[in-house]
Amino acid sequence: MVSSDPAIWIAAFFTIAATSYAFRDNIVFKFAENTFIGIAAGHAIVMGVKNIRDYGWAHIMNGEMIYAVVFVLGIMLYFRFSREYYWVYRYPIAFLVGNGVGISIRAGIHSDFIKNIAATASPIIAATPLDTVNNILIFVGCVTALSHFIFTYEGIHKGTIGWIPKVGRWMMLLSFGASFGNTVMTRFGMYQGRVLFLLRDWLGVV
Amino acid sequence: MSAWEKLAALPRELVLTLVLIAMIIPTLHPLGLPIMTGQMAQDWYDTVDALPEGSVILFDIGYGSGGYPSLGPANIAVFHQFFEKDLKVVIMATALEGSMMYPLVMEGVKPESNYGAVYGEDYVFLGYIAGEQTAMAGVLGDLPALVSTDYTGIPIAQISILQDVAGADDFDIVAYLTTAGGTSEGWVYQAYSAYDKDVLGGFLSMMTTSMKPYYDTGQLLGLIDGVKGAADMEFLTRHPGDAIQSSDVLSFTQTLVIILILIGNISYFGAKASRKEET
Repeated sequence: MVSSDPAIWIAAFFTIAATSYAFRDNIVFKFAENTFIGIAAGHAIVMGVKNIRDYGWAHIMNGEMIYAVVFVLGIMLYFRFSREYYWVYRYPIAFLVGNGVGISIRAGIHSDFIKNIAATASPIIAATPLDTVNNILIFVGCVTALSHFIFTYEGIHKGTIGWIPKVGRWMMLLSFGASFGNTVMTRFGMYQGRVLFLLRDWLGVV
Repeated sequence: MSAWEKLAALPRELVLTLVLIAMIIPTLHPLGLPIMTGQMAQDWYDTVDALPEGSVILFDIGYGSGGYPSLGPANIAVFHQFFEKDLKVVIMATALEGSMMYPLVMEGVKPESNYGAVYGEDYVFLGYIAGEQTAMAGVLGDLPALVSTDYTGIPIAQISILQDVAGADDFDIVAYLTTAGGTSEGWVYQAYSAYDKDVLGGFLSMMTTSMKPYYDTGQLLGLIDGVKGAADMEFLTRHPGDAIQSSDVLSFTQTLVIILILIGNISYFGAKASRKEET
């Protein structure tokens, strides 16, 4: 049975309007696109104000005056729009960049470098034959892909050992293929979610 | 234009119509193809299953409306498992639209009526916290210093579940579902690397190839791979939903894509051969 809920009808209209772009650009799609941008911007502003209130202003109201520094830094960001005082804007940006890098770099090195290198450097012979095959593939893939990015010694890309970076390139292409397959599945999964909504929640035929 | 070239240049309207038909047919008449549970989802399920009753989970809704069709069903399934096991769930959102996804998920789980869970005692929603890794570091470092109220404005002093939660040491596990690259790696950095916490992650399928090394190296104890992982979780938790219903459709449409890729390649090489013959 077709839904009688106006909210479902509005959602169904915008679903069809948004996906109509896949066939051709049209005015209905543009209406849906602009509506979405407007709502998303409005929502972002509301959430931004809520964040300032909950994670900044509330602390100042509790007497934690150190949070006033954050407000000052936030206001300094708006000097970006002044030609004369543009330089003031650089200080909060420097703070943001320094803070972000400081928070992520130590853990990033541990997760991305040390753990991955340690895992790659594990013994090739594993408990099961399948794991051994996997370990050989990881070892070959890692070494050959790394060799592809050696630019300081031209000889590695030519002559008798020129096949090593070529194998690395094939390994990377295989990885890109896997990523492409997963991307297709993700997009279809999103589209399928909307098709299911239209057939089940709107038209009631499922 | 030769027949091969015409075949290679299939109009996109035709391709999209075929995809749409391939989605509608199995949705109306499910094929009931078997679900083979993946090891990554099984590991997520087993990790949560091994937690003792009353364990505290920090859960991040790191996706918005665009990611909901893929990750929403997974979110509902994992919450069913959390509440069935009487775990305490502290929910936050690192995605701007996460606070809009929270009621949708809760509508699917219905923790009060299905499991007798009480808001504030068994679960709490802190809302969206800006800053990605800075927010993660803040929540894990000193939660009361960062958060003064829940999403609805109730002071945390009045929320019983948060009385014994000060930071990373008080969470037994960190779990998250996200569509954002920064968030996906951020929780591994901030929870696993910085505090040695057990971490579970769920992502869009297109992110799985880049996130799987973290699973392979034990930094993620379990991984949900988009709709496929969501279907696995629905199957494992015995709460079939949208993801299982989508599995048939995805199998059908992926087969169509493989056929189209084959047609594209055959026509490419066919056109190349016919051009060579002409010259």
